Amino acid sequence: MKRNRLAAAAVFVLPLLALLVIWEAVVRAFDVSPRVFPAIEPVVRAGVDAVADGTLIRHIGASLGRIALGTLIGIVIAVPLGVAMGTNRAVSAFFTPLLRFFSVLAGIAWIPIATLWFGYGFGAITFVIFNAVFFVVAYNTLLGVTAIAPPLRHAAASLGASRWRLLTEVLLPGALPNIVTGIRTGLGFAWRGLIAAEMIATNVGLGYMLFVARDFYRTEVIVLGMIVIGLLWLLIDRLLLAPLERATIERWGLVRAA
Amino acid sequence: MNSVAIAVSPWQRVWSAYVRSTTRHPALASLVPFVPVVALWAAVARSGLFPPVFFPGPGEVVQKFFTLMANGILPAYLEDSVVRLAAGTAVGLALGIPLGLLVGLSDRAHRALWPVLLFFQAIGDIAWLPILLIWFGFGLTTMIFVIVYTVLFPVVLNTVLGVRAVPLELHRAALSLGASKARVVWEVVLPGALPNIMTGLRNGLGFGWRALIAAEIIVGTSGIGFLMFDARRAGSVVEILLGMIVLGVLWYVVDSWVLAPIERATGERWGLVHR
Amino acid sequence: MKSLTITQLQKTYFDPFTAKQVTAIRDISLAVDAGDFVSVVGPSGCGKTTLLNTIAGFLAPTAGEIRVDGHAVSGPGPDRGVVFQSFALFPWRTVLDNVAFGPKMRGVPKARRHEIAREYLALAGLSHAAERYPNELSGGMQQRVGVVRALANEPDVLLMDEPFASVDAQTRMTLQEELTRIWEQRRPTVLFITHDVNEAVFLSNRVIVLSHGALLDDIAVDLPRPRAWDALIESAAFKTLAARVLQQVRAA
Repeated sequence: MKRNRLAAAAVFVLPLLALLVIWEAVVRAFDVSPRVFPAIEPVVRAGVDAVADGTLIRHIGASLGRIALGTLIGIVIAVPLGVAMGTNRAVSAFFTPLLRFFSVLAGIAWIPIATLWFGYGFGAITFVIFNAVFFVVAYNTLLGVTAIAPPLRHAAASLGASRWRLLTEVLLPGALPNIVTGIRTGLGFAWRGLIAAEMIATNVGLGYMLFVARDFYRTEVIVLGMIVIGLLWLLIDRLLLAPLERATIERWGLVRAA
Repeated sequence: MNSVAIAVSPWQRVWSAYVRSTTRHPALASLVPFVPVVALWAAVARSGLFPPVFFPGPGEVVQKFFTLMANGILPAYLEDSVVRLAAGTAVGLALGIPLGLLVGLSDRAHRALWPVLLFFQAIGDIAWLPILLIWFGFGLTTMIFVIVYTVLFPVVLNTVLGVRAVPLELHRAALSLGASKARVVWEVVLPGALPNIMTGLRNGLGFGWRALIAAEIIVGTSGIGFLMFDARRAGSVVEILLGMIVLGVLWYVVDSWVLAPIERATGERWGLVHR
Repeated sequence: MKSLTITQLQKTYFDPFTAKQVTAIRDISLAVDAGDFVSVVGPSGCGKTTLLNTIAGFLAPTAGEIRVDGHAVSGPGPDRGVVFQSFALFPWRTVLDNVAFGPKMRGVPKARRHEIAREYLALAGLSHAAERYPNELSGGMQQRVGVVRALANEPDVLLMDEPFASVDAQTRMTLQEELTRIWEQRRPTVLFITHDVNEAVFLSNRVIVLSHGALLDDIAVDLPRPRAWDALIESAAFKTLAARVLQQVRAA
């Protein structure tokens, strides 16, 4: 079994290694100017330097900190709200179009107004992240709860479930696949909102690191940053989202499309 | 059995009116909830809870809407944004569907390209802006590239899903009815994958217009995103709110009344279940 | 309709779980005359589905030859029409368009191929369903469409892979009677795979019993035609034949 896992990982990594080889080969063969695209070595060097003097860690820390905080607050508020709204038919009918509108608008579109309300920096960026996660998760939670067929609720009630029990044993598990889908989508918007906002509204963070490097044509820093961003998202996806989805969606079945 | 007269509460009356009118006109159901929200907005704005510089009322926004429509700025910016998005989406589809077909149908292509696709998707569209700015400057090419990049991945990934979901027996049925391999792709694989491709398009557009706005904010010389950011620089909230509402309404309309029905129609009509 | 000749067919494949070569078909030789109806029965795993898939061209034989009307064939093609257990109708095409698919591949113009399709739909009593989509039809009706779709393409040989296994028992009997009726009218060359012994005896002129990938027995069925269930189900001749086939299958 372990051998299979390793084999699968190797198969996955192989094309990426091939890509590295192609990268280096192309840069050398066409004598690409370092102001256009760096070779592998400068990127590695930039990476080592940035780790050594702590700047990379600082940027990663800032970005991850913002996204963690915004996401956590977003989920913690959105899920209970979505569940509460979903239990009453009139309330859910009222809020569904509203939440849908706001979830459709969520994230990047709020950058201008966020920087106006909160000024530049941590507050605005975290707000954009919170916004992206909150509306999308709330909307999906609402959808998930309303999609739980009344017979299930009735069944639980006639089996003696108290309201609290109904919530934890029927509503939450029933809505969980949708909630998880909402988290994935919301986090996707939030991540992009993070990078975009960091490019214009702050002086620390991965987006900032990329944008400021552009001014000096330091393409090796840009490419380093892009790779770091890619790896971070892959980590978030593999270590957080995929297990979450495996535990809920795959076990419990398909999710109704939002 | 006697019918007992039970008093109907005013809330029930309201609910009944709501249900009746929305059944006759389903669009109403999407619009009615916004009325109290707008009313609330107006009330909060007028109350002076937040300084009007930060929180204008709906009245001002509407006024600004008419001003910008009249002097042609809003239509021009809107057109710019929409054209960029449409162009980027068209290219994204034109590249993404064939690529998705290839990766979905060929095991070798799948093994070679899937990890690459996942990694590049993870980098995300926005992270490409700095290097694109170096290569192409602050112009249309940069923006189109970002949109194409954004739309490409959901389209490719969903196409692959759809292609692989087409049952083997349908391939075989077509082959034994005389279809060549190429015709099988056109007559069986593409229609079979269509619901998933629609999902991919919908997701792609969702990320795509956000990427557009971000690009317009960072790169822009025109467009709704630029409108909003320029207004922010001038400290004028009204335009920002107007821009957000225009975007929201536009996307809401396109997604709910164009894309979602198409997605539903292809999936449901053919009785296909897809994710 | 043409004859089908299998000569010394062999099919082995690699099983990744046991890391062994598995022989699904070992040295089968079989001749089906033009216009004949031959069934292949056997216990699960005897190789009958693999045999059909190989003849149909979905799998490549490891050794041996398949000839239709004396010409060697490989790969799938319209000369060997297939009816699938899962119906395999194209969900995005109407019933009419499904049946017209084969002619479409041959380049028959629209008006003519719709005409052909309607003709065949009428044959199976499906004219009213022409504009429906497959998912709107019951299983039995879908399979009728499947049969008619294969026939409308006028293949040299008709291969049927447990076509009635996915429908309920009542529908199955109706479909079997319809199939015999169509066959008695049109006389296609049919190779019919099934695990249902009674079905095999009812439909065919010959029943071939397969065991572990090899031919075990070849039993002639000389029951009179036309055949109907209510008559045959009591008939001593039917019962004897069925019992004999069953005995062979059980021994396999």
